[in-house]
Amino acid sequence: MSAVDLLNLVIAALLLAGVYAAMSVGMTIVYGVMKIVNLAHAGFLMLGAYFVYELYARFSIDPLVGVVLAFPVFFFIGLAVHWILIRRIPSSDQPTLTSLLLLFGLWLVLQNLGYLIWGNADRAILTPRTLYVLQIGPISFPAVRLIVFGAAVASIGGLELVLHKTWFGGAVRALMQNSDAGRIVGVNVEKTARIAFGVGIAFAGAAGGLLAMLYSFSPDFGGSFLLRAFVIIVLGGLESFAGVAIGALILALAETFSILVLPASYQPAIAFSLLVLALVVLPEGVAGLWNKRHRLA
Amino acid sequence: MGNRQDLNRLLEVANLELAYETVQVVWGVNLKVSRGQVVSIIGPNGAGKTTTLKALAGLIPVRKGRIIFDGQDVTSEPAHLRVRHHLCLVPEGRQLWARMTVEENLLMGAFSPPLRAKAHQNLNRIYELFPQLKERSKQACGTLSGGEQQMCAIGRGFMAEPLLLILDEPSLGLAPILVEQVFQMISRIAAEGVTILLAAQNANQALQVAQYGYVMEAGRVALEGVSDELRASDHVRRAYLGVSN
Repeated sequence: MSAVDLLNLVIAALLLAGVYAAMSVGMTIVYGVMKIVNLAHAGFLMLGAYFVYELYARFSIDPLVGVVLAFPVFFFIGLAVHWILIRRIPSSDQPTLTSLLLLFGLWLVLQNLGYLIWGNADRAILTPRTLYVLQIGPISFPAVRLIVFGAAVASIGGLELVLHKTWFGGAVRALMQNSDAGRIVGVNVEKTARIAFGVGIAFAGAAGGLLAMLYSFSPDFGGSFLLRAFVIIVLGGLESFAGVAIGALILALAETFSILVLPASYQPAIAFSLLVLALVVLPEGVAGLWNKRHRLA
Repeated sequence: MGNRQDLNRLLEVANLELAYETVQVVWGVNLKVSRGQVVSIIGPNGAGKTTTLKALAGLIPVRKGRIIFDGQDVTSEPAHLRVRHHLCLVPEGRQLWARMTVEENLLMGAFSPPLRAKAHQNLNRIYELFPQLKERSKQACGTLSGGEQQMCAIGRGFMAEPLLLILDEPSLGLAPILVEQVFQMISRIAAEGVTILLAAQNANQALQVAQYGYVMEAGRVALEGVSDELRASDHVRRAYLGVSN
């Protein structure tokens, strides 16, 4: 393999990692604050894809603008879902069976709602730039991938800024690490959880829109990405945003480079294998490596 | 006379009964703390000290009884609103956010909206009182030593401009020299005019720093009194100060 091929693969992996991270942070924030594994995340990824698709097909709204619009729309959907369903789950420091079943059920409902509305035909978002290929010297890549990567990085950057520079962000990070300490200093746990859930769903919707710019989709779209998001947040240590970025990069590199040795149809197996490997070798994720020295006495 | 006493009373706990699920652990506890005082609760592990303090902070629901703080009934007020009365708990085991920096931990102490405007002013005051924390301000809390963590936890409580600072086992698990340091810190905060309610298994130091003390045993107040009297009492001497007659 030539150096150019290698570089092309690395760049492809990097660009993929961006959107992988974007689709995973929503799950991480929900898990971190509420200790709920949001199995319905896949359903919101799917809805996000159709949201952007419909805006483009009906109103010729640019998919990128659609993704930006997905943030507020899905944020409010998230608030509503929290108010109707999630707040009724008894709070716990561990993921409970109740929450898993509820959110799995919600996923099924969303999926079938999708079939009801859009049928089972595959859709894709095709814009004039979809097939445009950028050529920089010997390196070439689809422009849309770069755009998606940029949007993903910008949204994650925005989230990081909110988490580190605002009182709400402080509350979110505090609840992720120790919720009782949060209550002592005056954090309203339920209110923060509601907003965090909204943010998580907002990211799911927007990430779904980004994925729809890259792949074709149907109402069961999201399942394979849910698995990937799982792998990424397990690799990342469940509660760490830096870990998510690294987890996304590891998975993207593994998947991208696997084409050198494996037929493309085996690609989903990469995520499964990584998940098993991570659980056996790094149960605390890559974040566990640097958190070891942060243990509280 | 009675009226004047009422004005001077910061905290009054009456007939407090607390339980975890179905297991009752506190049975009719009465406590009184006057403004400007340091009051200690001593007693063995499992006596209900921590449970009582958690209930004061609103972390455990009150089954029976009342908690009056600064003239207001806060018995059923949710935990996150109590800090607005300037009632602050420094919990057992410190409960810091290990992956946040010292400064972030301290600033979170002023999370409650009415406190935010003065957050940085209060932060500087803490740095003046405890220069060690300033040196470590950009470090993740999890990397601090036990004594520094305790200092940070007390500092976080101090950020809420406490009328009452509740300290639960501030010296637990610390080396003797650090225990000394922590109690010096408590004296310094008391000298700032902050009322302190302190629970500790270390009866000797807890009673030294306090003016008044309670002895809790098996979920009840077994004994109370001015701390010098308590220290002189046979029961306390034998059970808590390790003095045999």
